[in-house]
Amino acid sequence: MSTLNINTIRSEFPFLKAAKNKELIYFDNAATTQKPSRVINAISNFYKNENSNIHRSVHKVGALATQKYEDARVVVKNFISANKTEEIVFTSGATESINLVANSFVKQILCEEDIILVSPLEHHANLIPWQMIAKKAGATIKMLPIKKSESKKSSLEKEELDYTINRVELKEFLKTHSDKVKFIAAQHISNVNGGIQDVKKLTTLAHSFNIPILIDGAQAAAHIAVNVEDIGCDFYCFSGHKIFGPTGVGVLFAKSLLLKQFKPYKYGGGIVKQVNNLNTIFREPPQNLEAGTPNVAGVIGMSEAIQFITEIGLQNIHAQELSLKKLLRFKLEKINDITIYQAHNSLELNTLFSSPIFSFNVANIHHYDLSVLLAENNILVRSGDLCSQTFMKVLGVDGCIRASLSFYNTESEIDSFILSLQKVIKLLKR
Amino acid sequence: MCSQANKIIDSFSFFHSWEEKYEYLIDLGREMEPLNPMFKNDNHLIHGCQSKVWLYCEEKNEKLYFYGDSDALITKGIVAIITQLYSGLSKKEIRTENKDVFKIIGLRDHLSMTRANGLNLMINKIKEFANN
Repeated sequence: MSTLNINTIRSEFPFLKAAKNKELIYFDNAATTQKPSRVINAISNFYKNENSNIHRSVHKVGALATQKYEDARVVVKNFISANKTEEIVFTSGATESINLVANSFVKQILCEEDIILVSPLEHHANLIPWQMIAKKAGATIKMLPIKKSESKKSSLEKEELDYTINRVELKEFLKTHSDKVKFIAAQHISNVNGGIQDVKKLTTLAHSFNIPILIDGAQAAAHIAVNVEDIGCDFYCFSGHKIFGPTGVGVLFAKSLLLKQFKPYKYGGGIVKQVNNLNTIFREPPQNLEAGTPNVAGVIGMSEAIQFITEIGLQNIHAQELSLKKLLRFKLEKINDITIYQAHNSLELNTLFSSPIFSFNVANIHHYDLSVLLAENNILVRSGDLCSQTFMKVLGVDGCIRASLSFYNTESEIDSFILSLQKVIKLLKR
Repeated sequence: MCSQANKIIDSFSFFHSWEEKYEYLIDLGREMEPLNPMFKNDNHLIHGCQSKVWLYCEEKNEKLYFYGDSDALITKGIVAIITQLYSGLSKKEIRTENKDVFKIIGLRDHLSMTRANGLNLMINKIKEFANN
């Protein structure tokens, strides 16, 4: 049971209390979350009072900015329970984090006819970078096997569409191909159905064949406690803007032993120890991977967002989101001709918690039509292929509507959403 | 062009709420002459829209005629308006036509919220036909 006072929480978000947004229902949190005042203030305060480049200037403002930037690395380290601060690399977001691993690490170990395994459930950001480096090396991308989970049918006997990576089949594949498989990339939580993968077991399986693994945590970090040491993964990434922080900033966690093997793919100031006309000696990781002036304000803002989440408590966020999820699921199931793609396992199992993402279609109604008319009713949802055309193929559709909630959403918003949805369906079916 | 545009503007002037405008837009799509299924292929697909949009152009007596379809009702309505607006015009007339009918009928703000509906892509495609 949630103990949060949601009105107080909502009052901390300027977007949610702005007069011009009074009528809006923001159910597009998987795309980006709103920002609390303290995050906005932290960024504003940096530019107003503390703006300076970092790791360069010896003056006191520069030293303060550097301190805040490096303090943020500690905050992130603690947030995801990493062992060492130097295992945290700041990037522009999860997309850049994945590209960094692809180009600075995997590219170096990838040879012709090698295999990279990626699940078909991934966001394009966790598929295309692997495709690109595989093409260059003459390697191939193979899809991780998936299975339709045998979750319980819901009360109204709607078909459950819950997908997870099939570790039994994967193990069989690795038994005969482990010499060729150089890397595995998989999501923690899906941006389509909110389903959670057992990334700890997946990592154990990958490591039993000495294969490094990256976990894309873009949809996880705002909803569940992430412990990279416990998961054991080699790489983990997420974006600041999906955890109530600013856009343009993100994190790559990488095990320090592997980080030392990275060959930077961006070069510039701030990453060197010594340079002469012909050669450069680089600094140690993570600094050698953060070329140029980084997004200092963004990093400080993200750090503030993490502290905001930590103070509220992910357990409380979890409880609130679970309660909203149950209600929305219950109400959506009553809509005629609806197919819901939301992972359902989490309703019974607290240990397997998924994020409150509800993707769905209504028979004989195009998702674009639904989303346009929902928008006219001030309901902000996402529609289309959700940047995961491979998952759409698994579902057998070319797109869908996605309502994604955050803990600051309310039961009355769910009621209004359902009323608007019914109204819009009626208009489109007339 | 003017008479076709004015006809559409006049018919939309009866509707004031967005619901009525959308209902009418959807009706226009439903009433549109269906596109010959042989043209509903990748060659005539406009890429970049969230819904599928097919646009076929035919030239007769130095005038262009457009036929289209979509798998979404609202987009189909947009296709209906656009094909009505530009069909029967010469290439020169199409190239110089800049009247923003969607703004006048009060749907521009709604439909240009995202590029997903392909409104601009469709107009660009028609201008491309006129430039060839």
